[in-house]
Amino acid sequence: MMFAAQFAKTIKLLIVIGMVVPVLTGCWDRLEIEERAVVLGISVDLEKPGAAKEESDVSHLKGAFPVPNQRMLRVAVQIALPGRIPLGPGEGGGGKGGSEGTVWVIDVVGHTLDDALMNLQQQVSGRLFFGHLRVIVVSEALARHGLQNLNDYLRRNPEVRRMAWMMVSKGSALEVMRAAPELERVPSLYLMSTLDNAVRLGKFPVNYVGMFWSNTSKKGQEAFLPYVEIRKEQNIQVQGMAIFTYDKMVGSTLPFDIAAYMGIKGLNPAGYRGFVPIGNNPSRTVTIYATSRKSMIKASIRNGKPYFKVSIFTEISMEEKISEQFSINSSDILKEIEDTNRKALKKACENLIEKTQKAHSDIFGFGEYVRAKLPNYWNKKVITKGAWQEMYPNVDVEVTVNTRMRRVGMKAK
Amino acid sequence: MKDERQITAIQSAAILVSTIIGVGVLALPLFAVRAAESGAPLVTAVSVLLAFVGLAVISLLGMRFPKQSITQYSEDIIGKWLGRLGSALLIGYFAILSALTAREFGEVVITSVLTRTPLEVTVIVMLLLAALATRNSVTTFAYIHHFYFPLLLFPALLIVALSLKNADGLNLQPMWGNVSWTRPELWEGLLTITALFQGSFIMTLVIPAMRRPEKALTASAWGMLIAGGLYVTIVAATVGVFGSEEIKNLLWPTLELAKGTSLPANVLERLDAAFLAVWVTAVFTTLFSSYFFTIKEASKLFRLGDHKMFSFFLLPTVYVMAMLPRSILHMYEIIENVGRIGLILTIGYPMLLWMIALVRRKRGNR
Amino acid sequence: MLRRPRKPRKTASADVQDHSLEQALEHSKDKLLGNELTSSERFFKELLGLNNDFVMRRFHVFGRYPAVMCYYANMVDQALINKDILKPFMYVPSHLEGKEFELGQLTEVLLNDAIYHSACKLERQLEALVNAILQGNTIVLVDGLYDAFLIDTRNIDKRSIDTPATEQVIRGPREGFIELLGTNISLLRYRLQTSDLRIRTMEIGRRTKSKVAVCYMEGITNPDLVAEVDKRLSKIDIDAVLDSGYLEQFIEDNHYSPFPQVQYMERPDKVAANLLEGRVAIMVDGSPMALVVPTVFNQFYQTVEDYTERFLLMSALRLARLIALMFSLVFPSLYVAIISFNPELIPTEFAVAVAGGRAGVPFPAIIEVLVIEISMEVLREATIRLPQQVGGALSIVGVLVVGQAAVSAGFASPITVVIIALTTIGSFATPAYNAALALRLLRFPLIIMAGIFGLYGVMIGLIVIANHILSLKSFGVPYMSPLVPGNFEGMKDTVVRFPFSLMRKRPSFLFPQDHTRISGQAVDEQADSKGSPLNPLKFKEERKDAEE
Repeated sequence: MMFAAQFAKTIKLLIVIGMVVPVLTGCWDRLEIEERAVVLGISVDLEKPGAAKEESDVSHLKGAFPVPNQRMLRVAVQIALPGRIPLGPGEGGGGKGGSEGTVWVIDVVGHTLDDALMNLQQQVSGRLFFGHLRVIVVSEALARHGLQNLNDYLRRNPEVRRMAWMMVSKGSALEVMRAAPELERVPSLYLMSTLDNAVRLGKFPVNYVGMFWSNTSKKGQEAFLPYVEIRKEQNIQVQGMAIFTYDKMVGSTLPFDIAAYMGIKGLNPAGYRGFVPIGNNPSRTVTIYATSRKSMIKASIRNGKPYFKVSIFTEISMEEKISEQFSINSSDILKEIEDTNRKALKKACENLIEKTQKAHSDIFGFGEYVRAKLPNYWNKKVITKGAWQEMYPNVDVEVTVNTRMRRVGMKAK
Repeated sequence: MKDERQITAIQSAAILVSTIIGVGVLALPLFAVRAAESGAPLVTAVSVLLAFVGLAVISLLGMRFPKQSITQYSEDIIGKWLGRLGSALLIGYFAILSALTAREFGEVVITSVLTRTPLEVTVIVMLLLAALATRNSVTTFAYIHHFYFPLLLFPALLIVALSLKNADGLNLQPMWGNVSWTRPELWEGLLTITALFQGSFIMTLVIPAMRRPEKALTASAWGMLIAGGLYVTIVAATVGVFGSEEIKNLLWPTLELAKGTSLPANVLERLDAAFLAVWVTAVFTTLFSSYFFTIKEASKLFRLGDHKMFSFFLLPTVYVMAMLPRSILHMYEIIENVGRIGLILTIGYPMLLWMIALVRRKRGNR
Repeated sequence: MLRRPRKPRKTASADVQDHSLEQALEHSKDKLLGNELTSSERFFKELLGLNNDFVMRRFHVFGRYPAVMCYYANMVDQALINKDILKPFMYVPSHLEGKEFELGQLTEVLLNDAIYHSACKLERQLEALVNAILQGNTIVLVDGLYDAFLIDTRNIDKRSIDTPATEQVIRGPREGFIELLGTNISLLRYRLQTSDLRIRTMEIGRRTKSKVAVCYMEGITNPDLVAEVDKRLSKIDIDAVLDSGYLEQFIEDNHYSPFPQVQYMERPDKVAANLLEGRVAIMVDGSPMALVVPTVFNQFYQTVEDYTERFLLMSALRLARLIALMFSLVFPSLYVAIISFNPELIPTEFAVAVAGGRAGVPFPAIIEVLVIEISMEVLREATIRLPQQVGGALSIVGVLVVGQAAVSAGFASPITVVIIALTTIGSFATPAYNAALALRLLRFPLIIMAGIFGLYGVMIGLIVIANHILSLKSFGVPYMSPLVPGNFEGMKDTVVRFPFSLMRKRPSFLFPQDHTRISGQAVDEQADSKGSPLNPLKFKEERKDAEE
């Protein structure tokens, strides 16, 4: 009896051990950090049709790709080189001060993003790891061609973060990847911090790739991406916004339009400067900058069409004036500046709205206001994203701007 | 047994909350948005009410028979054999529920974090974890739930709080959604979400172990309020951040929410893996409850004093059931269908019992 | 040795070949002393005479009656024997000089008039006499008397009362228990000068017959608890109890758990405080550690100082200790999980830098961590074993040199060394050594789980540990009390220690008979009646009055 109980216990133990041991022997997903090829940035270009020659037979035989007329992609990745980026501060930068040594940029071609990455993986020893993917650059050509494939791949891959930046480059995206700015040790991180700091300085609205996706999906809104260009010092300049309908780029704006956009959306912090010629006299120009913005968008129906009333309030400060011939020492003159600024901003906003209307791209999400606030109208007349894109150019938007100048700096006149 | 009547009202509320909150949260916003787009929070709230009606009936039944669990009093109410049939169905249903919970979480884990680990391993590990814990008494069962209860609320609320700065109120309007309230998807979604609250059936097992069974209804109300409140909050936050259309693109919107959230000062840059790790607790408590219900009631059905032998005995069966769905999409189809059908068992059956008990004036001894 | 099935004690006649003292004693059980000195003498000589330190001294009482004095030379106070026993036995007391006594009167005269010793009594049971000699007492046999004189001459060398080595405090008493039970009881009585302190002694250990004292507060401690402690202690049958640790393993609820379910303590003030909360203390002769039951998890990060210092500061320190406790458990496994499985969690710059630090290391993170972790344990073990003068040097040398060398040899990455060092320091911050040991041990399975499943595995491991803790009970008290099951009165003394004025009741999970610890009324009155005798305003006016 005692023996039987002991025996049963032993058997039980053996079964449990038998079940546990096979589990213990596997470390399926263990992959040391230094064995991963940490991809920090990715760039995607649209390649000329002849590029297929360059491709090796990794995922399919030559000419056997199921979608024959798809344009080829040139994908470049920026991989961090472990060991080149020193631990902690100091160490004197480790040889070359620039970024040449810290990352490795390789480019391949492929029919789709995954195809290209597969070709790439064939050339790289470590497994490509997208957990630290911070920057995705697409060329304008590709953006105008459509980003469906790219978005699908990135959404499906669990490693990709929603807080990466996606941007459209004027010209080749590969160039942006290859750019080696001096300031930061890792170029991709420089790109990222360029945009992050633009957000912090009020030069660009927060627009991570996750938000881009959400805006693309929304029925009453279109998405936009930062539009960047390489300048002579290998630095990157935000050249405005690339505006989309669905996932196709349809146009771009000027950098100053970003200020108008942020004004309409009431996004803070505000950071744009403006030149205000007092009384339209160019010799009496002052520079002001906006410190905070507020806006209110009201949607209503007028003449069977949606009608939007946008009221913007900005608070501005005095930054400089160009000559000593006039002084700023009374509240009247401030009022005059406010007035001029009001008109200028109103004009800028109306211009931007008009521009987007022409492109059928409602990056402000006016349609969302209709959907949210006027659901009856939406359910009857609009319903789909396509219908709103058709309707958007015809809606009326009234912009009213209110400005208050509060600070003039340390100078008394 | 004297020492088995130790569960307090707070503990039973905690049991309810931690049982209800589980792997379902990850896909919940998707179900809700499919049903009513921006009306998702409202649909969830209605489901909470619906689920509470079921739970209230269970509590009232339990208070009527404060010393018995459902397998025992169902025999008193509708006769020995019908009652046994009902109990057997319930036990089988909860075994399926355990299997599906383990499978669903296994799928989440292998899709998002451990992409090359076999599904079988993650499922076995979860099942073993639950089976090991079910070897304890009801009192320890209550302690375990009580202990994990704050650990469930905290990460969920943290993520909601951190993501609020990205939320846009426009996404939540109109409150009833841009859809008509008569379309069938809405009602299906409503029932699917209600089915996520089926864990509350564990109350039938808790009441006979409560120190003061007359407080069962209060405990149920609190449990449902907290769990339901959390569900509605999560749905609202997810819809607020992503917008309903984007959620339709995401398999696990709540996980995606964690992915898009970083702790202040970038201590952790993204929270999805961390959230998933903490969420193991939530899934464990859910699985623990449904599996505990299965083996405890099975041992009562077969008139056995000790439920421990069942805990490993039933494990292979549950495991096989967990591996039956062919793919993740197939699994979700099954979960939705099984959940809706299960409502007949978890809400309909107790309601029937209750009405018959009222008519036949049956009452358990106090 | 402990596992050996015990022989029934009462049937000693069986095993003749075993000539042990115990067997002989069984023979002489219930036998009485005879009045013939020679036979008695022979009995003791046969039984104990084989030992070199056994002394049998023949002499004549009052110069007439032959007598023998027996004792163990090294356990007695020689001077005391010479002056206060031998002398009064040999010389007739001065006030009785010249008188003649009969043999029958001798006992009375010796006891009442001759011996200058308070602890002296008559005894005729042979077994008791032998035991008395073994304990260090002296017996005197006189020819013709049926009774032997049993005199307490025990004198064991002991170390002085010292600061407790394991529980140091900055503010608080500096006394610690020593090995002798009597001294320990005196230390305890000195702190609890009340008739409610009950100390019950019993003997445990077939061969050592160690004295075990069960202490509790009458009127506070739940009597069921005392009864249960008595029951568990009385069921122990072991040949030797050399330390309280032996007892701990018999009275704890779950033998296979790594977590201690009985707390030991070296400080009499701590024991007193625990008794006052309604716990029971068990002390063993020969052990400087008292056991206290029941024990809950909370106690392991609390110290006496928490109550002597201001509550705000000590609550913060308690929090720090709790964090250190958790750190020492999960830090290495979290590190492994993040490095090998989820590097996307940490900031990009840091991840890239970590990858750089690990670039030359040949092993996966889990092996690296395990190796360094094990060498750390070895180092720690070595520092405990080594003489103190060497130990301090070794630990510093070991940590600095080995760590630095491992990094520069490319054997470990610098961050791993940092992580392990932090973990080790964290585990020293736990006041209870046995709890820290448990967590140190559990760290290893967690690291292995992290190596297999990453964060998911760490969490699974933690859940298993938490479930185990939640199922533990110490004398019926759930281990996580007062957190689970919730108890608001008890929660005032968990991570945060509330001020005394709010902790008016004893923790109710111990079900004490008297709940009130601090009279609420008195606290309120005190708060109301605090005057300010040195208020400067008052003196200003007085001075003004004086000037006028």
